[in-house]
Amino acid sequence: MHSTTLRTAPLHLARALQCAPQGVRRCPRPCIVAKWLQSRNLTTTTPLAQEAIPLRKHLKDEAKRKKAEAKRDGNTSNRNLGTDPRLEKWELTVGIEIHAELNTACKLFSSAPAEALDGEDGGTANSRVAMFDAALPGTQPQFQVATLLPALRAAIALGCEVQRKSGWDRKHYFHWDQPNGYQITQYYQPFAKDGTLVLSASDGVPASDLNGADSLAIGIKQIQMEQDTAKTTNVGSSTYHVDLNRAGVPLIEIITLPQIHSPQTAAAVVRKIQAVLRSVDACVTGMELGGLRADVNVSVRERGTSGVGSSYSGVSGLGQRTEIKNLSSFKAVEDAIIAERHRQIDVLEAGGVIEGETRGWTLGATETTRLRGKEGEVDYRYMPDADLPPLVIGRDLVEHLTSTLPALPDELQQQLQDRYGLSLKDAKTLIDLDSGDRLDFFERTVQLVMAEVGSSDQCKFGKMVGNWVLHELGGLLATHQRIWDDVRITADELKDILVCLDQKQITTRVAKQLLADLFQRATAPDTRPSVEHLIEVGNLRLRPLSEEEYEELAKRIMEENPDMVKAVREKGQKGKVMWFVGQMVRRGEEGTVEPEKAKAVIGRLVDN
Amino acid sequence: MSVVDDVMLSARFCRRNASRRWIAHQRDQSTAAHRQQDLNALIHHGSRWTTEGSVVKDDPTPPSGGALSGKTIAIKDNITTRDLPTTAASKTLAGYTSPFDATVVKLLRHHGAIIAAKANLDAFGMGSHTQHSHSGAALSPYSRNGVPLSPGGSSGGSAVAVAMGQCWAALGTDTGGSVRLPAAYAGVVGFKPSYGVLSRWGVVQYANSLDTVGILGRSVEGVKQVFGCLDGHDGRDPSSLSRSVKERFGRPRRVLKELRIGVPVEYNIAELSPAVRSTYLRTLGLLQDHGHSLHAVSLPTTRQALSAYYVLAPAEASSNLAKYDGIRYGYRTDGPDASPKNSLPLYARTRGEGFGEEVKRRILLGAYTLSSEAIDNYFIQAQKVRRLVQRDFDGVFAQPNPLLESDDLGTGAGDKGREGVDVLLTPTAPTLPPTVEEVKRQSSVESYMNDVFTVPASLAGLPAISVPVGLSGRETEGMEETDVQSVGMQLVGQFGDDELVLQAAELLEQLDGRA
Repeated sequence: MHSTTLRTAPLHLARALQCAPQGVRRCPRPCIVAKWLQSRNLTTTTPLAQEAIPLRKHLKDEAKRKKAEAKRDGNTSNRNLGTDPRLEKWELTVGIEIHAELNTACKLFSSAPAEALDGEDGGTANSRVAMFDAALPGTQPQFQVATLLPALRAAIALGCEVQRKSGWDRKHYFHWDQPNGYQITQYYQPFAKDGTLVLSASDGVPASDLNGADSLAIGIKQIQMEQDTAKTTNVGSSTYHVDLNRAGVPLIEIITLPQIHSPQTAAAVVRKIQAVLRSVDACVTGMELGGLRADVNVSVRERGTSGVGSSYSGVSGLGQRTEIKNLSSFKAVEDAIIAERHRQIDVLEAGGVIEGETRGWTLGATETTRLRGKEGEVDYRYMPDADLPPLVIGRDLVEHLTSTLPALPDELQQQLQDRYGLSLKDAKTLIDLDSGDRLDFFERTVQLVMAEVGSSDQCKFGKMVGNWVLHELGGLLATHQRIWDDVRITADELKDILVCLDQKQITTRVAKQLLADLFQRATAPDTRPSVEHLIEVGNLRLRPLSEEEYEELAKRIMEENPDMVKAVREKGQKGKVMWFVGQMVRRGEEGTVEPEKAKAVIGRLVDN
Repeated sequence: MSVVDDVMLSARFCRRNASRRWIAHQRDQSTAAHRQQDLNALIHHGSRWTTEGSVVKDDPTPPSGGALSGKTIAIKDNITTRDLPTTAASKTLAGYTSPFDATVVKLLRHHGAIIAAKANLDAFGMGSHTQHSHSGAALSPYSRNGVPLSPGGSSGGSAVAVAMGQCWAALGTDTGGSVRLPAAYAGVVGFKPSYGVLSRWGVVQYANSLDTVGILGRSVEGVKQVFGCLDGHDGRDPSSLSRSVKERFGRPRRVLKELRIGVPVEYNIAELSPAVRSTYLRTLGLLQDHGHSLHAVSLPTTRQALSAYYVLAPAEASSNLAKYDGIRYGYRTDGPDASPKNSLPLYARTRGEGFGEEVKRRILLGAYTLSSEAIDNYFIQAQKVRRLVQRDFDGVFAQPNPLLESDDLGTGAGDKGREGVDVLLTPTAPTLPPTVEEVKRQSSVESYMNDVFTVPASLAGLPAISVPVGLSGRETEGMEETDVQSVGMQLVGQFGDDELVLQAAELLEQLDGRA
């Protein structure tokens, strides 16, 4: 459990340093992962079982999107594939701003819990609101030091320089989700600057972006802490319900440099940042809480020119940029950029001019839509918050957090490959799936199996368990349209199955049946039959046939299928041997034929 | 002491006694309650408040033992109280009662004080005459040609309530002079401590980098007593000074035998009225006669300070008042609020109807000076001026500024090869209080001029107190008996030198024969 221990270490630290009452520590939520997995087609875990309302809306959108995609694939598919010939001429530049909710016990400036306590199921609306969160007259913000820890872990993990002194500023705008009439953020002096995110082909960066190198570095301009807004729900045509539970929950905003030149890389950046944040336990990932949102700045310029000479974030020579706000999935990031690139090229090729404006994107749309132009821009009137003293972060704290930082995804993936002999793809998938829950399950199972068998061959059992956890369980999830949270099988049960299999007490076929059986039982683990019991009752234990019995079975099948025998013997179609093995397994009594042995027997008889 | 001095002194005493008698007469009149209601000093009363305008004496559960046991204290209505409304004298908060007591109110109760009533003010503390109040203007007990004088502002209600004996002491707030100016106009003591010494938790923000809770009382002794009960760190106010900072404050010094008093040359302005100038000079002379030394000092940024203040305070106000949208509490317009058809932005109607003219004026000023096109020329420049004002003060005080790091102390007086001063003495306001009629005729800018002497100490966060000094002799020529009988003199000390300022004020009070 080495790496598991590593990954939970900072939680102890956080708990030790937290001033809020015990027991309100937040746990990561799995939701967003399932969502982006769908977009990557890694599993088909459609979260039908989830009751959360935003997800239902999401599913609707997703269905719409698929429909639209199917339609689009018929006529404009090459735009999606990125083979637009115009891209030879035009170069895309993208900068991303990511907002992620920090994993903290309390809000940024009040001691109100950031998330409902366990068992409260989301909490009643407006139940976690301190007087400051409701902007009552005479109240003041009180910076909660504990919220700094996950923010610092994120900054360190993204290679940023943590600033000794940073400040708090007010960003003003009127909206009912903003009780004070301003958001407290770090506009003039962010707490972290100048980081780097390194991506490789395995992160989804296309070869054209790598230019022959192994990896690509994208600069992180800065990270700032800020308050989240209240949640508003539209009820009826002109009524909104405002829930202040989320108002004041701490966010970090991560701003990349405009160094991204393809939609795929943009999505890869967001994905990677999300994975890094999760690996250091910096963020909650619940989509329904707005766990992660991205705004993208998109511009195009003719290759080899300096566009219209625009510049931002210190990068100059760019085309005029537009901003697309509020993208809440990796798919949306990629698609919105593709659409906006297309639109800008259309405008430019027609001799038009791109206007600096804010645009929106909805899942399934083919075009971004104009939200407001420059003249409609809100002047946020940024002003230092006079109530709050500057934030001073000691070198010692940063050093302590750096030395206790858990393994980052790239390191973790290397560890999984080295220790358990997993392939790069499997290691990556394990880390990415289900907010790390799948990885925990995998490691627990490996440890249990090895303890039971009394082996120390991590590589052998790692590969075996990896295969079962990823592919067998993954297949079941796909077939039954379930998500990981619904899986009732315990690591102990999988261990029992795999130990039996390893000791040749059952065949692989039986092992798979047992897994499927347990998978479909909805009852709690202690009320369902043990694996041992299932094997006994089903009479599934391997009763090895004698050599004679194998031969007898094989001969019978060969006699019934002379054509197949001929095909192997005369035409040399060795593949047909496996057909015979299959027949033997099927014809033999359940749990009696081992495929390897059957293959050996068939091989011998055919060659004769 | 010369014979002439003797004569002048006795004349002054007579004059002052006459004025005291007049006030006492006002207080004792059978129509006292009626008179007090006319002045409109107090706008919300507790249940223990009698119709005669005093607290029921035979309180069944008198708080015992506290330093302020049984003392009635009025609270400016922009400081929250659980049991009385807190409206900040604005329609925006009409009927609003806070769910919590401000820390200063809590401390007063803890020390046995009776929170008697809420005092009138200019809405949100924005004004110098307590005329911009949704609860109606407050009036000074003094009048000229039958027209009431301005009580000063914005803590005019607190000052008048103290002057009329409606309470033993009162809390006000001072952002640019809002405690000192009404104290000067009403003839009472008004103290603004160093910024961050008294908690602001529960103080409705106006300009939160300047807002300070202040104390008004009839004597320095009373003010000191209240201050002693309120002084302390409060974790709920992030700008409350920590104990470690306070440890760097100057030790209370008994230097009262030979106080070094600074006289800022820039305060000798043309706008200074003869009565104020004469009283100021006489007071300086009196201090010198008693062994204290006078030193001309220069505070060159004084003029710019007022402009800087009227950029910074509205800027912060525009931000602090953004929360009043009528959604969670407070006034809300009937019918729909935003009207995109008439291109009215969100909350425009609610805020337009809820805020008074002066508040709207300052919000607009502030929104402009913070806008991206203007911030560099206004807000940033004003911040720079503010820093210069602080540097001016650091350059004249003997005591180094405890907020500066030791290597920043190069600007201190010691470096310039001369001894600094202990306190500065200036008039609190350039003129005697105008009548409310005159106030009405004033433009906003003219009315802002009133704050020219009080604003610099606010910008630098310094402790400052206004002590009434009786008018005497020729100063009162042609004045009616109903007119104001004293001039406010302001003492300003180095940051954290609150004790010294209070001691110097006591001394001034004694010299004036009031003690």
